[in-house]
Amino acid sequence: MQFDFTPVLDRLPYLIAGAWLSLQIAFLAFAFGMLIGLVGASIRAYGPNWARRVVGVYVVFFTNTPQLIQIFFIFFALPDAGVVLSPYQAVLIGMTLNAGAYLTEIQRAGFESVRRPELEAAETMGFSRIQTVRYVILPHIVRVLFPALSNQYILMTLGTSMAAVFGVEELTGRAYNINSETFRSIEVFSVAAVLYIVITLIATLSLAFVGKRFFRAKMRWF
Amino acid sequence: MWQQMVDELPRFLSYYNLLFFAKALGVTFALSAIGCIVGFTLGFVLAAVRLSTRPALLPVRIGVQLVTELFRRIPFLVTLMLVFFIFQGLNADLSMFTVALISVCLIATAFIAEIVRSGMESVHQNQWDAAITLNFSYLQMLRLVIVPQAWKIILPPAFGFFVLFIKDTALASQIGVVELAFAGKTMNNKGFSATLVYGTVLVLYFMLSYPLARFGKYLEARLAPTRNR
Repeated sequence: MQFDFTPVLDRLPYLIAGAWLSLQIAFLAFAFGMLIGLVGASIRAYGPNWARRVVGVYVVFFTNTPQLIQIFFIFFALPDAGVVLSPYQAVLIGMTLNAGAYLTEIQRAGFESVRRPELEAAETMGFSRIQTVRYVILPHIVRVLFPALSNQYILMTLGTSMAAVFGVEELTGRAYNINSETFRSIEVFSVAAVLYIVITLIATLSLAFVGKRFFRAKMRWF
Repeated sequence: MWQQMVDELPRFLSYYNLLFFAKALGVTFALSAIGCIVGFTLGFVLAAVRLSTRPALLPVRIGVQLVTELFRRIPFLVTLMLVFFIFQGLNADLSMFTVALISVCLIATAFIAEIVRSGMESVHQNQWDAAITLNFSYLQMLRLVIVPQAWKIILPPAFGFFVLFIKDTALASQIGVVELAFAGKTMNNKGFSATLVYGTVLVLYFMLSYPLARFGKYLEARLAPTRNR
C-alpha cells in the first residue's frame, strides 16, 4: 500500500468546515434534547400517572431502537403521511428525539439524587422556596448530572456521523465526497478519524474544566 | 396510508420475506453477540495490562491507553470504513460480515476495556496493598481479590454498553452486510411502503434490545454495590 495524503490535506479546510457542521448538529440536538429531557424528567418525577406512562413508553421505545432506523423512519416513512423533510431536518429531528429519551433518563436520575434530609435542612435554615432551588437543589443536581451529560454529548458528537448516510455533508459526509473524488480512501477516513478525535477531545477537556471549576463535579480529564 | 399498508400486508408477510427478516435478525444478533464476547475478553486483557505496575510493561501500557482513548472517539461508521478500506488495500478477501465483525470487536474492546478498568480501579487501594503484602502474583491478585469485588461494578455498565452496541451494528448496513437495517432497505426498494418496512425493523430491534435492557436494569438493582468496604 502506498499512502498519499496530499490530495486529502489539500481539502482539509473543506473537511474542517464539515466538522463544524457536525458540532452544530450535535449541539442543536443536545440543546433540544435537554429541553425534552427536562420536561420528560419533570413529568416522570411529579406528573400524573398517565403522563408518566406516556413518557415511559417514549423513553423505552427510543432507547431500545437504533437511531439510524429512527431517522430512516422519519426520512422515508413520514412522507407517506404527507410530511416531507430535508435530510438535515430529518437527521436533526431524529437525533433530538433520540437524545431526548436518553436525557430524560439521565435527568430523572439527577432529580432522584436530591435526598429528603437536604430539603428538610434547607427548610430548617429558613430558606424560601426559591432559595432552596437556587442553593440546594440546583447545585446538587448539576454536580451529579454534569459528568453524565458531558459523556452523552460526546457520544452524540460521534453519532452525528450517521447524518452522512442521508447525504448531509458533515464531517463523514464530506469524507465520503473526497473519497469518491480522489479514491484515497484510507487517507481520507484516517484524517476524518483524527478530526473526530480532535473535536471530541476539545469537547471533553473544556467540559471537564467547566465541570471541575464551576460545579465541583467529579470528572476525569480523560 | 393505512389502507395501503393493510393491502400490502399479505404480500409482505410471505414465507420468504419472513425468512429474509429472520436471517437478518440472526446476522444482527451474531454481530452483537460475537462483538460482545470478543470485546469483553480483549477488553479485560487490556484493562489488566493497563493496571499492571511492572516497569517493563510501561510502553505497552501507554499503547493500550492510547488505543482505548482514541478508539472511543472515532464514530463507528468511520471505523467501519477504515477497516473496510484497509483490508481492501491489503488485498484480503474477506466477507463484508467479517469486516463488520472486526470493526465491531475493535470498538467493543475499547469501550469494555475502559469500563473494566474503572471497575477494577474502584476496588479500594487497601485491597491491592493487602494482596501485594500476601505475596500474590499479579494474576492471582486479579483473580482472587480484585475481580470478585469488581465484577458487580463492571457488569451493569457493561450491559448498558451492550444494549447500546446492538443498535450501533445497524451501521454495518452501510458496507452491505445483510442485517436488519439492510433488510429494511432492501424491502423498501422492492416496493413495500417505508412505514411498514421500517416499522417492522424498529419492532425487531426493540425485541432484541428490550429484554436485554430489562435484564441490565435487574442486574443493576440486584448488584447495587454496598456503600461500605
